[in-house]
Amino acid sequence: MWNREIYNILFAALVFCSCNSTQKISSKYYDENEKTLNNIEQSFKTLYRQKPFSLEFTDRSFNFVSMEIMTDSLKYIYEFGINETRLKDTLLKYSLNEKGISDIITQMRSIHCTWINNLDYYVDEQKNSLIFISMRPVGLSKPFTNKKYYIITYFSQPQYFNSEGKLLVKKQRNKIRKINGEIFWRINDKVCYTIAARFR
Amino acid sequence: METNIARASDIFGTKKDTIKASARQHAMAFVQKIDTLAKSSFWPNIKPKTFLENIKLNINKPLSIYEGVSTNFCGYAALSYILLHDEPLLYAKFMIELYEHGEAIMGKTSFRPSSEIKQAVGTMKFKGKLDIRPADQMWFLSLADHFKGYLNLFDKHYDAGDEDKLWASVNYAKFNRMLRELLDEKVDAIGSDLIHPAISDLYEYINSMMKTGTMVLYINNTFLYKKTHSALKLAVPTHYIILQEISKVDDTITIVYWDYGGRSLRQLTTKFLQRITYGITHCTKKMNDVE
Repeated sequence: MWNREIYNILFAALVFCSCNSTQKISSKYYDENEKTLNNIEQSFKTLYRQKPFSLEFTDRSFNFVSMEIMTDSLKYIYEFGINETRLKDTLLKYSLNEKGISDIITQMRSIHCTWINNLDYYVDEQKNSLIFISMRPVGLSKPFTNKKYYIITYFSQPQYFNSEGKLLVKKQRNKIRKINGEIFWRINDKVCYTIAARFR
Repeated sequence: METNIARASDIFGTKKDTIKASARQHAMAFVQKIDTLAKSSFWPNIKPKTFLENIKLNINKPLSIYEGVSTNFCGYAALSYILLHDEPLLYAKFMIELYEHGEAIMGKTSFRPSSEIKQAVGTMKFKGKLDIRPADQMWFLSLADHFKGYLNLFDKHYDAGDEDKLWASVNYAKFNRMLRELLDEKVDAIGSDLIHPAISDLYEYINSMMKTGTMVLYINNTFLYKKTHSALKLAVPTHYIILQEISKVDDTITIVYWDYGGRSLRQLTTKFLQRITYGITHCTKKMNDVE
């Protein structure tokens, strides 16, 4: 009987700790990694304009990276070990900026960033785009936390938010905008975050 | 009312004359004859101009049809790929009839979308390019509204957002049934929702079948497009792709496939291909329709 009580208390404590850590990470993570995140975003934006691509770490150890290289007719999807020479050879073959992309990969690895991509979205039938960055912070990897990914979106223009800080579709309509099915929260006028179960 | 229903299936009887290599031009000629399309009272949230542009885009660039972000429309999109490649005129006539009359027939199937569907079309948001493609919204939602499989048993009624849920899911038997009922194609399917197809050499089987028709693979998407790093993954198929090319060097298989409105190339091992593949559907136009 006592054993069961102890188990119940331990279980409740674990759940509480997990929830608590999620809240802390939400508020602090961007501030703590702001410089690196902004560097990654700026470099990615510049290189994406030259030739569209995305990067994804496919394993929890951050040793394997998958790269999507978009061309007019085909999207090439390759996976490499981060130290494999194939990675460099492939970047050169597709005339991608080898130094720039290698730097992004190194920076992503340093802050446990799992995915970066450019996403299109539509407002009043007009196409807009944002940079989508997912991370897997250590604090979110605890047991009993379903939502393990911290996601940041960088918009090109200032966005609208309600009084709770939730991202809106438009200023006039108090309609909440979802991205990949998730509600996003304000960090600043152009940057939002959410905690999600999936990184993409 | 019956006389107003599109007899798109009538095209089956005339395809010897109409479905040629120039099928796309015939479909475009049909759509271009329609200078202006009046706003339909059946579909209050569709702008006619955008609707027509969407249909023209699908006929001209059938690869661009896109199921939307986070939806369960991939099965309907794969079916659309075959329809737009093999029967673009059938598609165009059906879509215009459905728009103008609120109901239409394709193949053996009579579509009468519910009022909830008619209200929802044109209002989808946060689905990427699907947001601005009302014809695709109409087509996908009408398919999901009409065809039901066991995955849809507990959610048969459409509510906003159901495109992401079980309401829109397509199990393997339902996918093949849709192909057989809608298109004039010979459909050979092997596989299931739970067990991998019992084929000793999967690569050789796929490679040989691809030479004679369109190949659809029913796969486990959690391996192809990772969304989490969890070691626990459900061993069930969740996605349909159109396989366009396959080749093998040593144990490396290179595939080119279509999904999400575009073509992708990736390399995988024989074991990985076996691990993700649950169904293989092979479609060929019936002999009397081939020139």
